Amino acid sequence: MSDPIKEEIAREIDANTILVYGKGTKTAPRCGFTLETIEFFNHFGYPFEVVDVLENMPKREALSEMTDWPTLPKVFIKGKFYGDTDILGPMAQNGELLTVLKEAFGGQEPVAKQTINLR
Amino acid sequence: MIDDTSLTGLIRAKLPDADVSIVDRTGTMDHFNITVRSAEFKGKTLLEQHRLVYGALKAAHKDGRIHAVELKTIVPEN
Repeated sequence: MSDPIKEEIAREIDANTILVYGKGTKTAPRCGFTLETIEFFNHFGYPFEVVDVLENMPKREALSEMTDWPTLPKVFIKGKFYGDTDILGPMAQNGELLTVLKEAFGGQEPVAKQTINLR
Repeated sequence: MIDDTSLTGLIRAKLPDADVSIVDRTGTMDHFNITVRSAEFKGKTLLEQHRLVYGALKAAHKDGRIHAVELKTIVPEN
């Protein structure tokens, strides 16, 4: 892997158990589907990271090529590609996702949902 | 912007047996809810099923005729 963009993606995926590539940031999502995905994972209570690739066309193209998936957001859990909430929603409903997440976090239970950030 | 007939045509070109239902979410003919039922989905994971449909819509995504899709795939019972 000599491509610097792909190396960057590999590093990001490696560093975050749940990683969302989306449009906008966690605090300022710039796409309805990205917002939906953030709310989805907020509800689950496991830590996750969002990487904004809205303006980064080369990275978006590299990601689409890697995953064979044309749209954003793109969700990775422990390095594995899971598509978007159209896939994760049904997986959450049948309980499969919680199993995947528990395993990804080494059996750890999720922390309290929607923690309030006191500052 | 793409009309329902063309959109269904793109999906059926890849999945000839597909039942396709389309909802234009924004009235702008580029944000859609699409539900596809096809026997081709049998034995495939949800991810693979969605990849099949996105594969059919690839060109339309790329040239901007389609901006956003919420997709649901259904495997026929029999």
